[in-house]
Amino acid sequence: MAKFLAQIRFIAGALALAFIVATAAPVSAQQPSSVNPTASVVKEQTLLNELSKLQGRGTIPDVKSYVLEQPAGRAWREYRTVTLQWIGGIAILGILALLTIYYLWRGTMRIESGRSGRKILRFNVFERFVHWLTGVAFVILGITGLNMTFGRSLILPWLGASAFSEWSEWAKFSHNYISFAFTTGVVLMFLMWVARNLPTQADVAWFKSGGGMFGGEEPPAHKFNGGEKLIFWISMLGGGAVAVTGYILLFPFYGTTVSGMELAQVVHSTVALLYVAAMFVHFYMGTIGVEGAFEAMADGTVDVNWAKERHRLWYEEETQPSAAQGQAMRPAE
Amino acid sequence: MLIKRTERQTRRSGLVAAIGNQSGGGFDRRSFLRKSGLVAGGLATIGALPLASVRKAEAAGPNVAGATIRKNICTHCSVGCTVTAEVSNGVWVGQEPSWDSPINRGSHCAKGAATRETVHSDRRLRYPMKLVNGQWTRISWDVAINEIGDKLTEIRAKSGADSVYWLGSAKFTNEGSYLNRKLAAFWGTNNSDHQARICHSTTVAGVANTWGYGAMTNSYTDIRNSKTLFFLGGNPAEAHPVSLQHLLEGKELNRANFIVADPRLTRTAAHATEYVRLRPGTDIPVLWGMLWHIFKNGWEDKQFIEQRVYGMDDIRKEVAKYTPEEVERISSVPGAQLERVAKMFATEKPSCLIWAMGQTQHTVGTANVRASCILLLATGNVGGPGMGANIFRGHTNVQGATDLGLDIVTLPLYYGLVEGAWRHWSRVWEVDYQWFVDRFDKSTAADGKVTTTMNTPGIPSTRWFDATLLPKDQVGQKDNIKAMFVMGHGGNTVTRMPQAQKGIEKLELLVVADPFPTTWAALAPERKNGTYLLPIATSYETNGSRTASNRALQWGEQIVKPIFESKNDNEVMYLLAKKLGFADLMFKNIKVENNLPSPEDLLREINRGGWSTGYCGQSPERLKSHMANQKDFDMLTQKATTGPNKGDYYGLPWPCWGTPEFKHPGTPLLYNTNLSIKEGGGTFRARFGLEREEKLPDGTTRKVSLLGNGYYSKDSEIKDGYPEFTLGVLKKLGWDKDLTEAELAVINKVNPTTPDAVSWSIDLSGGIQRVAITHGCVPYGNGKARANAFGLPDAIPTHREPIYTPRPELVAKYPTLPDAKQFRMPNIGFTVQKAAVEKGIAKSFPLILSSGRLVEYEGGGEETRSNKWLAELQQDMFIEINPADANERGIKDGGWVLVSGAEMDSGKTCRMKALVTERVGKGVTWCPFHFAGWFQGVDQRGNYPKGADPIVLGESVNTLTTYGFDPVTGMQEPKATLCQVRAA
Amino acid sequence: MARMKFLCDADRCIECNACVTACKNENEVPWGINRRRVVTLNDGKPGERSISMACMHCTDAPCAAVCPVNCFYTTADAVVLHSKDLCIGCGYCFYACPFGAPQYPKVGNFGSRGKMDKCTFCAGGPEEDNSKEEYEKYGSNRLAEGKLPLCAEMCSTKSLLAGDSDVIAQIYKERVAKRGYGSGAWGWQTAYRESIAT
Repeated sequence: MAKFLAQIRFIAGALALAFIVATAAPVSAQQPSSVNPTASVVKEQTLLNELSKLQGRGTIPDVKSYVLEQPAGRAWREYRTVTLQWIGGIAILGILALLTIYYLWRGTMRIESGRSGRKILRFNVFERFVHWLTGVAFVILGITGLNMTFGRSLILPWLGASAFSEWSEWAKFSHNYISFAFTTGVVLMFLMWVARNLPTQADVAWFKSGGGMFGGEEPPAHKFNGGEKLIFWISMLGGGAVAVTGYILLFPFYGTTVSGMELAQVVHSTVALLYVAAMFVHFYMGTIGVEGAFEAMADGTVDVNWAKERHRLWYEEETQPSAAQGQAMRPAE
Repeated sequence: MLIKRTERQTRRSGLVAAIGNQSGGGFDRRSFLRKSGLVAGGLATIGALPLASVRKAEAAGPNVAGATIRKNICTHCSVGCTVTAEVSNGVWVGQEPSWDSPINRGSHCAKGAATRETVHSDRRLRYPMKLVNGQWTRISWDVAINEIGDKLTEIRAKSGADSVYWLGSAKFTNEGSYLNRKLAAFWGTNNSDHQARICHSTTVAGVANTWGYGAMTNSYTDIRNSKTLFFLGGNPAEAHPVSLQHLLEGKELNRANFIVADPRLTRTAAHATEYVRLRPGTDIPVLWGMLWHIFKNGWEDKQFIEQRVYGMDDIRKEVAKYTPEEVERISSVPGAQLERVAKMFATEKPSCLIWAMGQTQHTVGTANVRASCILLLATGNVGGPGMGANIFRGHTNVQGATDLGLDIVTLPLYYGLVEGAWRHWSRVWEVDYQWFVDRFDKSTAADGKVTTTMNTPGIPSTRWFDATLLPKDQVGQKDNIKAMFVMGHGGNTVTRMPQAQKGIEKLELLVVADPFPTTWAALAPERKNGTYLLPIATSYETNGSRTASNRALQWGEQIVKPIFESKNDNEVMYLLAKKLGFADLMFKNIKVENNLPSPEDLLREINRGGWSTGYCGQSPERLKSHMANQKDFDMLTQKATTGPNKGDYYGLPWPCWGTPEFKHPGTPLLYNTNLSIKEGGGTFRARFGLEREEKLPDGTTRKVSLLGNGYYSKDSEIKDGYPEFTLGVLKKLGWDKDLTEAELAVINKVNPTTPDAVSWSIDLSGGIQRVAITHGCVPYGNGKARANAFGLPDAIPTHREPIYTPRPELVAKYPTLPDAKQFRMPNIGFTVQKAAVEKGIAKSFPLILSSGRLVEYEGGGEETRSNKWLAELQQDMFIEINPADANERGIKDGGWVLVSGAEMDSGKTCRMKALVTERVGKGVTWCPFHFAGWFQGVDQRGNYPKGADPIVLGESVNTLTTYGFDPVTGMQEPKATLCQVRAA
Repeated sequence: MARMKFLCDADRCIECNACVTACKNENEVPWGINRRRVVTLNDGKPGERSISMACMHCTDAPCAAVCPVNCFYTTADAVVLHSKDLCIGCGYCFYACPFGAPQYPKVGNFGSRGKMDKCTFCAGGPEEDNSKEEYEKYGSNRLAEGKLPLCAEMCSTKSLLAGDSDVIAQIYKERVAKRGYGSGAWGWQTAYRESIAT
């Protein structure tokens, strides 16, 4: 991490400065110094070679104003205007391209044995509520967030400066407030689903065969297969990371400095973009990628055959009368 | 910018041209507007945005084209920066750089650049108020003047005229200062003082006693000529920032030595070429330590001493005791460094010595400045460009207020309090001398002899509360001080504030006439009645002249009318005189319109009486012409090279001899023998007699001349020393024939019985001055400067430990002076010092406490702490402490600490923030002196009238400071005392 | 075409804060917004130097590059200005700025930190020169009156220079040559990718 290295450099620089000062001016207070203060002045370039930022003393309460110069702002600017654009572009366009190719290649994964006509409850009302709470929030946050990174080059030219600025201000406003809904959703999801998302032996087999996505049999899975677990953990870790860094950005300079703010922004935007890219896979799988999958989050039930094919282990758990969960199989209407 | 005015104008027109032609490569405002779509309707949409509306500026609007320009003088130090104001519809809407001023050349410090806010501050006192049962109540001016006048009269009848103390201000104009002293004279007391008491009273006394006049010899701009600048007890980077423009440029242009000796590595020291860290209160050992090397190596200016100095041999004897070892033992400055500094000072000339309150605010203040003068004399560094005693004073007009006698020992312009002085001013005022005699308190001694306090120095402002609190029989006047009439003077600038608080509680009447309520209004919550607050216009709302530290007068014009119900000082004094019944006499020759005395007439009256100090030639017309034609004056020489004032020095620095018609150009450098007197030259003043009888070791005596020995100023017809001029002296020289008949008539009227005794300083015609100067002679005579100032308590300066010293073992050898009665008050410094040593005070209070100035604030700070632009920059009172001392005490930078002073009641502490810094040495702490409004941990914000409390409050350092007074002036000791600090 | 820059001669700066209050005075900047400030390095130690700092009006300004709504523009005099009508108060310019120049009226970010405010080189903003609207949003427009920023014009020691790059660089060079020392044109390397050879 460049940032981490920068921090190390800063600490080393601070020590070096302390050393320079200590040796240049051994002011023992008791002993009157015999110094030429003009001659012992430090030069800017010397300091900048040693330090990542120049920090002094001021009198106003705004301590961040005591930073005279932090050329690291240049690095952050480079990240934001170049690196992030590439990361985002490659990740999002790349995923979209891959999904398109995949769709053209494989098309929708059908229920091989056809619909049984009987349905089984996969997600209850609360689960669905949490999912959609998080999902809708995610989409709004994603769009308004992407606007901060790509809006200037993609939207501004055809919206005009004034309208784009107004839109962006509303977007930022929404982004800040809807973050709470999203964070709540992530936390609930974690509590709800973490137990079923712990890795198991079945996942190993699932991944070995590519989840049947590239031909061959799909290995049996519990309630969540390996791919879904992957999405879950991306959501939890990614969501957690964007939430934490987002709140740092939402409360500027509380317990952090400008370097901290830059770091938070770098993490927030990088993770968010990758997260968005990953979620495109989820959208695909949940909609046109897999026949019958969307129903699980729509009315909460799935076709029994779908369940047997995709989540046989879960289906078996659900249909065993002795199932500890005691979820009775209910025939669908 | 380091460019000549002409270059600047070129560059600015280049800038205008650049802006006029915006079609080039850049992305200009208008194309931006087009592109951003803001032009058509965009603004309307944006205007409705609810989320983050643009914050409205608080001012009325942008600088209005065609606004009137008015010029006044910044009040925050003595440099004399011109403030250029833009006024529109009676509102001060903007400030522009004063490019034409030959003093500040456009520059300001934080305070000068924020003066506009001081005038418009919403923290100003708006109308007269009275404290009724602890509540501030609005009253009218009529009621206020009536009630105050009645109470004053009642106190006078009961306790005598001396029971009323008139505390004036260095922020008065010259005319206001003069009027305030005149008011005290008409009231019948010498208890009339102002801030000079606590800043440079010791300078005035010490320097005047050395060579004649107690003022800066050169000027801020002249320091550009120095090759060696030695700062001892001054931090002009914070106290006189604009002066640093000249000092730093001088340093750069001459590659000058820039030596700073100070207990702190100040912001001035940051730019030094040599920094000397000394223990607070050891200036004399350091100066004597330098002289030790100078005498030992023969670096002194022998011819200068021979011709122009009396008593240097006495100094040699004293200095011999201050060997490098002894000096290091006392001051902790190593001998090798002092030798280097001494050599630079004595051999890389011209050298000047710069000081401020670091030297003056000590029990040995007068001796300190005397020792400084002696160093200058020994090295021949007085009386030429780039030399001299450059005494940096603290307010706009502290020099002028001192000159005009806001002082307990003198009438206006240093005439003293003797009968001759009173008679002189009686003649000027055209009021019978006997009328004044009748106004003063009298006492009858056992032998039936009636004495008056008319000729007795008053009580120093440092002791007013002692004069209130001490038993009546210990105060050398009819009764205690019962009333304080305070105009423009802070209540937290005098040491020992816990005593001041008790004093305020005991007063029968307290009147505070000030733009702000000040600490006087808030310090003593136990006082429930009998306080009046009168809203006064700031100096920017007042016409009149001000005298900067370089003795130059500048005429400032009213920028805006007094805001709210404020009145200016002169009007208030007139109303009071009217109420007290002597307005007609006091304003006999002064036009008064709508209760406003004419400042021009006041200055003319000063001119008519100001012969002794050369305040006679600066007529309002000449001063106004200087102000209007500032651009004609050269910055380096201060001389007008063209225009109506060609040949004049800017502001006619005093002495400006003769009548205004005589057209003396002013004296830019005192005692400069290279110029003819009529061109601004001078000699040392023959002020201390013609000769002195000295005792020789064999018991015999000899008479030694005190007149100049073979030296004289350019064009002098007398090629040797000479006494001051009288009609008698003129007659002896045969020059009396040059007097006109009209002049002779006036001289005869001054002293009809013995006109020969009429001197240059009381000749109201100015004829004696004119004739002497025509013959190339200076009216005050050509004398020697005194290295031995016989008559002063320490005629030969010697080290004396501070009353509260961290080095008790030095007290036996260097004790403070014995107890004595001074200025009607007992000074028991010796007893206090002895008790402190015996009690081992230095063990329980091991840290030295010193105090000083911050650039953002001034004086007691009520005015500047009420200015939001300044207050934002310093929001907390703090104490600087060395990291070593802080570590021992577990004190963190920026953390709260509790500080206790050596004289504070046990259990009481002051709460402030710690600033842990190597700026101060180990064992030394330092506090700024501008804070007030917290007292021993108690926030007193509620004690101010609502809405008139300063934005920033904090503990006053003077709550911690202690006893100690200079024997010559009653100066306090806020620079070297003891304290203890602990983490809160 | 002038290329406007600031140059603080640290060997002249005495931390008197005149530039700070001159800025407040000229532009009526509210409490808590510090378009200009003075930072002291090595405070209280030999070698102490103070530097007055505000927006340096960078070449290829980072603030302008990172602004998500492109509210910055550079004038023909190379002064970097912005439109408060377009600004959404996101704070990105502060992260990118090497000199801590952007200021915000509110500390929190809920809804908005308020419109960003910064030194305008006393050149106002996009509105009509010296109009009431321009003054209320951005402060004064001295450049349009043919004057330079008040902070530099009022500097107590002529430490802070403002004006055409070539002119102020020349002044500084001459100073250093005359006095024999100079700690450099602080911030120039970072802001303009150039320094003054002395």
